[in-house]
Amino acid sequence: MNFANLASNYEEAVAMLLFVIGFSNLLLQKNLIRKIIGLNIMDTAVYLFLALKGYIAGRKAPIVVDGVQSVKAYVNPIPSGLVLTGIVVSVSVSALMLALTIRLYRRYHTLDLDEITTRLKKEGL
Amino acid sequence: MEFVQNFPFFSILLSLFSGPLCSVIGGKAARRINLVVITVVGAMSASVLHFTIRSGEAYVYLMGHFPAPWGNEIRVGVLEALMALFFCVVMFLSMVGGSLERALEIEAEKENLYYVMVNLLLSSLLALIYTNDLFTAYVFVEINTISACGLIMIRQNGRTIEAATRYMIMSLLGSGLLLLGICFLYDMTGHLLMSNIKEQVQILHATGDYHISLLVTVSLMSVGIAIKSALYPFHAWLPDAYGYSTLSSAAILSSLVSKGYIFLLVKIFYRVIGFDIVRDSKIVNILFAFGVVGMIMGSVSAIKEGNIRRMIAYSSVAQIGYIYMGFGIGTTAGVIASLYHILSHAATKSLLFVAASGITDASGESTSFFDLTGAGYRNKLAGVAFTVGSLSMVGFPMFSGFISKLLFAQAAVDSAYYKMLPALIALAVSTILNAVYFMKTVIRIYTPADREEIQRRGFRNVTMADQKAKSAALVCFIILNMALGLCSEPVVRLLSEGLQMFA
Amino acid sequence: MDAWILLPVILPVLAGVILLLSLAFDKKKNGGGQPDREPGAEELHSLHGYVAAVLAVSAALALAAALSGEHSVTLFELLKGIPVYFHVDDISRLFAIVISIVWLVVAFYSFVYMKHEGKEQRFYGFYLIVYGVLMALSFAGNLVTMYLFYEIMTLTSMPLVLHNGSREAIMAALKYLFYSMCGAYLGLFGIFFLYKYCDTLTFTAGGTLNPGLAQGNVTILLIAVFGMLVGFGAKAGMLPLHAWLPAAHPVAPSPASAVLSGVIAKAGVLAIIRVVFYVVGPDFLRGTWVQTAWMTLTLLTVFMGSMMAFREPVFKKRLAYSTVSQVSYILFGLSVLSPVGMTGALLHVVFHMVIKCALFLTAGIFIFQCGETRVEQFRGIGKQMPKTLWCYTFASLALIGIPPTSGFVSKWYLAQGALEAGVGVFGIVGPAVLLVSALLTAGYLLPITTSGFFPGGIVKHVKAEEKQDSNLEPSLEMLIPLAILAALAVLLGLFPNPLINFASRIAASVM
Repeated sequence: MNFANLASNYEEAVAMLLFVIGFSNLLLQKNLIRKIIGLNIMDTAVYLFLALKGYIAGRKAPIVVDGVQSVKAYVNPIPSGLVLTGIVVSVSVSALMLALTIRLYRRYHTLDLDEITTRLKKEGL
Repeated sequence: MEFVQNFPFFSILLSLFSGPLCSVIGGKAARRINLVVITVVGAMSASVLHFTIRSGEAYVYLMGHFPAPWGNEIRVGVLEALMALFFCVVMFLSMVGGSLERALEIEAEKENLYYVMVNLLLSSLLALIYTNDLFTAYVFVEINTISACGLIMIRQNGRTIEAATRYMIMSLLGSGLLLLGICFLYDMTGHLLMSNIKEQVQILHATGDYHISLLVTVSLMSVGIAIKSALYPFHAWLPDAYGYSTLSSAAILSSLVSKGYIFLLVKIFYRVIGFDIVRDSKIVNILFAFGVVGMIMGSVSAIKEGNIRRMIAYSSVAQIGYIYMGFGIGTTAGVIASLYHILSHAATKSLLFVAASGITDASGESTSFFDLTGAGYRNKLAGVAFTVGSLSMVGFPMFSGFISKLLFAQAAVDSAYYKMLPALIALAVSTILNAVYFMKTVIRIYTPADREEIQRRGFRNVTMADQKAKSAALVCFIILNMALGLCSEPVVRLLSEGLQMFA
Repeated sequence: MDAWILLPVILPVLAGVILLLSLAFDKKKNGGGQPDREPGAEELHSLHGYVAAVLAVSAALALAAALSGEHSVTLFELLKGIPVYFHVDDISRLFAIVISIVWLVVAFYSFVYMKHEGKEQRFYGFYLIVYGVLMALSFAGNLVTMYLFYEIMTLTSMPLVLHNGSREAIMAALKYLFYSMCGAYLGLFGIFFLYKYCDTLTFTAGGTLNPGLAQGNVTILLIAVFGMLVGFGAKAGMLPLHAWLPAAHPVAPSPASAVLSGVIAKAGVLAIIRVVFYVVGPDFLRGTWVQTAWMTLTLLTVFMGSMMAFREPVFKKRLAYSTVSQVSYILFGLSVLSPVGMTGALLHVVFHMVIKCALFLTAGIFIFQCGETRVEQFRGIGKQMPKTLWCYTFASLALIGIPPTSGFVSKWYLAQGALEAGVGVFGIVGPAVLLVSALLTAGYLLPITTSGFFPGGIVKHVKAEEKQDSNLEPSLEMLIPLAILAALAVLLGLFPNPLINFASRIAASVM
């Protein structure tokens, strides 16, 4: 393993760190709101990663204002497009999760999923 | 270019736009539109299937006429068309079979919303089947998840909301991993179209660059999809989601939604990475191990379960284990067996769900095991259908399950020794366990019940005339099952041809 | 094209399905949900005529197919390389001919008997279907085809067991289903292994095991074969999966139990013969632990079955245990893996089929005429129905193996086979167990004759007093089939040579 690369690619390392934080929050937290926060951290980490990949130092965004310069002048626009798409997806998913959380909270007055499961078992439904 | 070649694109768009349309019209009209859409899409898939069989090769359809590295593509071969057709058939029958339950369990003013979800689900399944673009696949995976979640929670009770929440959490974990894997691949290869990625991956593999990164990517995507398709031990959400949602949801979820993800995995293996690289990466061995454990543990959980619908749901865990076991064998024969099992399981599991609901109808809506005593006499067709489904599940000849067991075993005995033994032993043990809980149920529903008990509980007899739609669906399911079980040779041939033109 | 050999399969199955369908149709016409209407005498006549005609034609076709040389036909490919394939060879011939004769004879008997069970149309529907399936089973030319029809036979013969619809009958039928299926799955997994290590799954005398492939995998193959033996042994009532037999027989109608234990139990034997002698090959098993375990299991079953029969007071259950014991005679003959033993086994297949059917038909007559099921009720029954009891006595003597009846011939070959086969201590123990079991057989069958003819003092039969008639003899339609079978049991022993030659030819061809 070459740890020297880790230092030079510290942005990617940060993105991965954030992903792991988000992932484990989504997986391990009991509180639903915290889970949703974890989900958003995880998604953001991926967007950060994508944005990093799309950025090339010293180049401009491919918005043509005064005639097309050489291809070398612009960064790759596709990752930005992917990030935008991803954000749309994650917003809708978060909204759905929040809606579910509200439903559950109204019914059981708790945000703890395990607690809800135990109560459901007691209800015997 | 022939007109037929547009059909895959049309069918995705048709189902996609009929979704929003359903949100502004009444429940009854939405139901009709939904059935019409499924039928039309099925017919289009059939003609595409016919076209691809005749032409003998897959074709690429450019979306918006941008050529390869930039545009978005659809790629259609025999396998894709076959899957699309089959999914339409199963979905149609499930929708027809569950119409009675939907009328009872869904609030009338929300009924049209259900069809929004079903149409979106159909379109996302079709997109997963047809697309040749990895990021498009990701987007439709999420649409699939959201609409499946809607299908679960449309029946409002605590259980379904909890199940939907759990389902969402697991699915999001899975899609997070999948997305990360896709980003890695994009980073390494600079492409999003599957065929282009594969070229680059082959080069990377040959030069040995990014070896570890490639390994990590493949495992991220495999694990992500495994989580989403409820491979053991990621199945905790499944019994509640299948057990308490409305009937057509349970049938569609169990037979189609998880299969859509699995189909995407096959696509990633064959078209994005290349199956030989996947095999060399040893990822398949991990899938194999989890599959084998899932086959056993799913059946064990099913045996312990006292609620018939949850029992069938647990059996899905075992069956998904079979499918992953087939991938894990790491040969083309294994993959073909798994693909056949996707078909066989879809046909059987939805049959079982519909039949089980027919049985519970005749037992005062109780799903508890002991109340089902003698239900086979109170609802004859459902009893027969459940028996057929059970026999198929345990691998009785004439039914589809037998053929998939045969294919799995053939694939297993031709593989390496250290995989052959666990695979065959797991097949044997799981078959016996299947026999235990399915035959236990069949025996239960054909054990004559106490007449007084029936009177006291007010169980009524259900005849075919009472439930025309459900009976028709059951009969069609039985025919489908037997057709798969008896005329398996052409189907298997199509699958293997399709797999050849798939890569 | 030899496709016509499938006619004896298709014809009865179709005819049976038509019967069942017309039954369902009738019900609908009468407004479903009403109890089944009893058919009038006219209807019954035409039903009987129909069944007899179909059976006779199919039996004739089956005989024609069996006797007119080698035939084979491939129906369609189930999977690549696994066709549904039929082939008529000597074993097929033996089974097809005997099954056809017995099936026809029992059918005539049941025309009278089934009157008191009711629901005749359903019974005959399944009776015809099972016959077709059995023919397919006999003609099956490879392991997968055989397995296919083996399972179908289980499923279609189940309604014969649960005929009267009582709770016990249904539970017994489900028990039968469960045991048979578990057994069949053991067989199926064996097939998977054999598929890999054999050149072909098509039946070939002497086996198709590929020694090159099997090298180094002997242990696992042996385990697989042992699984198959135990699995298919379930149908033949071999330990440890024998428990369905004593449960299923007492509740089934007598003609059904006759064919169940006479014919369907033999399907297990057929499957084992096919596996051992036509796919695996006897040489592979000779001297291995599988052979030892197999012989031990069969001998245990022989002894245990006889003991249980000896202690059993319910007549049909006693006969069921007797089947358990007698079918394992056959399996023992196969397990010694010598030509003489196998000859004995094949002879015993034929003889036991005839004899056990005769015995169950007697049991049926006792139930039909007197309504009695327990052995101690039969005291003095010989005064009222001497002819029946004489037939019973002859069949019993044949089963015990008193010369010159048929059982003697087969048991002689069985014992000789065991002695010659060079199986060590089993060469002595085997014949000894067979002898003890024969004594027990005498012990559980003959007391019915002795107490029937010599009740010791005057015992008025209750039923006879009711009827004011000392003659309880059944009608000729019931007596003649019984007499035919009993006569066959004796005659086959008097003139066994053609059969012995045929059986030893088969045995020589596979070893």
